[in-house]
Amino acid sequence: MTNRRALWLVTRREILNRVRSRAFLVSGLVTLLLLMAIIVLPQLLDGGPRTYKLGVVGDEAIVEVARTLAAAETNADEEPPTIEVSRFPDVAAAETALADNDVELLMVDGATLVDDGTSGFSDSDLAGLLQRAAGSIRLAELAETSEETAANVIEILTTDPLSVRSLSGVDPSDTTRPFIAYVGLVLMYIAILTYGSWCLMGVTEEKTNRVVEVLLATLKPWHLLSGKVIGLGLLGLAQFGITIGLGYAAARLTNAIDLPALPVDSLVWLTVWFVFGYAIYAVAFGAAGALVSRSEDAQNAAAPLTILAVAGFFISFRVLDAPEGMLAVIAAMIPFTAPFVVPVRLALDAIPLWQVILSMAVMAASIVILIRVAARVYAGGLLRFGARVKIREAWRGAG
Amino acid sequence: MLRLDGLAKRYGEVTALDGCSFTAERGSMLGFLGPNGAGKTTSMRAVFGLTVPDAGTVTWDDRQIGLPERLRFGYMPESRGLYPKMKADEQLAYFGTLHGMTEAAARASADHWLEVLGRAGRSGDPVEKLSHGNQQRVQLAVALVHDPELLILDEPFSGLDPLGVETMTAILRSRAAGGAAVVFSSHQLDLVEDICEDVAIINRGRVVLAGNVRKLKDAAPVRRLEIELANGAPDFVASLAGVHSVKAAGNRRLVTLDAATDIGRVMAEAQRAGSIRHFIYTSPSLSELFMQAVA
Repeated sequence: MTNRRALWLVTRREILNRVRSRAFLVSGLVTLLLLMAIIVLPQLLDGGPRTYKLGVVGDEAIVEVARTLAAAETNADEEPPTIEVSRFPDVAAAETALADNDVELLMVDGATLVDDGTSGFSDSDLAGLLQRAAGSIRLAELAETSEETAANVIEILTTDPLSVRSLSGVDPSDTTRPFIAYVGLVLMYIAILTYGSWCLMGVTEEKTNRVVEVLLATLKPWHLLSGKVIGLGLLGLAQFGITIGLGYAAARLTNAIDLPALPVDSLVWLTVWFVFGYAIYAVAFGAAGALVSRSEDAQNAAAPLTILAVAGFFISFRVLDAPEGMLAVIAAMIPFTAPFVVPVRLALDAIPLWQVILSMAVMAASIVILIRVAARVYAGGLLRFGARVKIREAWRGAG
Repeated sequence: MLRLDGLAKRYGEVTALDGCSFTAERGSMLGFLGPNGAGKTTSMRAVFGLTVPDAGTVTWDDRQIGLPERLRFGYMPESRGLYPKMKADEQLAYFGTLHGMTEAAARASADHWLEVLGRAGRSGDPVEKLSHGNQQRVQLAVALVHDPELLILDEPFSGLDPLGVETMTAILRSRAAGGAAVVFSSHQLDLVEDICEDVAIINRGRVVLAGNVRKLKDAAPVRRLEIELANGAPDFVASLAGVHSVKAAGNRRLVTLDAATDIGRVMAEAQRAGSIRHFIYTSPSLSELFMQAVA
């Protein structure tokens, strides 16, 4: 049997077995539903345009201006909020209505706003709208009494803001890049640790239920380790891709979150670095899993790796602030931190090409070396049952 | 032919194998015997490259054993190992393909063995839901699914009920009759004596007795005699030449005597002493050879 055939058989079993397991399907579905709920629910609950209930005593000229303002501030494809006005003969009657929640806000004589004071957010949208309307009326009155015409007032109010330019050539008002850098980092961290720990648990399980002794009678240890890493990696990529893709699509369709259009190069880079990062962590996790016989011990054996990943994650937050600093340059060259740091710098467009190439070369070389080291530790650890095997013993045992 | 030659293995202070050598022929069954910790499992693992010996060689048909040879071997380890959540038939088919079978051939063979082992009805269940005995059957089927030339089983009879022992025996016999070399370890010496052509007895990492069971028994320096007469105890046996020991059980005497003793003369003596009710003359049992060998 060729190496390729052996790898294919192991990889296929890993994928099929997991895809068919109920736990995998249920957890995948629950994640997806949760994500959808987070994105879509607020939209559904929002239920179209708002209706404000305003109680008025005396002058109500402001209300009409507020309606106009609200219409002007609403996007063309949406309905503006409506303001329902209830008129009261005196303040006492109005305050009773407010206390009974018949209205949410009172306006007295076009000069005072009264709320019930129970809401933590007493400065409501309606109050803000009325304040701005009052301001507009005041401006219009000023315009009447001065040389300026009302038309000029509008022109003053719609003047373009100051333009901003940055030396780096990146438009600072473009929030897409930091957004992708930040979200990409978080997703990368979750994906690498999730699928890496699948690998850890998978290896330990094979040892726990002793099937490994039957397997190793026909397979080389590296077949088993690599097949598992590849199978779970492909599965992880597919699962993560589908979840994120659907989440992104749902968010765009419902306009729930103001998401930027994702540049293709960012997606490609994220995928490439996920492959690098996953490969190095999964191989190392797999070797760690081979050192223990019980799943309870697996997390302990993998603790040093988890710490490395957490370190890479936090370093990347510093890199978000200073993407071309010394820390960013060094961390991009260390195999266990690079998968977190480099995508951030790429997303921020803050890494020279030579550093990207060097980092990828370091990564590729490290993975090749680590696979050899891990396969030997894995081979040496697999058939030693009972107490946790020390790395050095496993290394010697495989000789 | 499987040949283990001078295998040695140390784990720190512990010597697991100390020049272990024996051979197993195609078409025959070899019982691999020895006290606990004598090195049986380590030897078997060495055949599959699961232990790398410090010295010595393991060959199949005089060739060093590598992965291509191992694909044609079947192995049932002492610590049973299956994927608990995988269905029995899929699991068997998977192990079939790992031994180089095509998907279709592996599936067909998996179904065949589940049928033979009487599990065809529930082969779609995950292994963890099967009873202990049925898991054991699936484990055996894993070793058989690719029709191996060499079958190595570590304690295949342990934990089996009498019916299971019967089935296991029949299957191992049929494999050997089909031309495979069958090697299994066991502590059930009577069973091994019944079904094996050959034995190898290992003690402290070294094979102390090996060969054809019949010949080993014939070559033993002693014989056993059980004798009982209708009229009183046959005490004349104590005075016979070549007698090593006499044990009394009621009127019956259990005698160990030199293999060279002329049994015809003993029988003639017995007839003179009275009328014979019980007379068994036999070579020592495998148990006795075993005790002798590991003493």
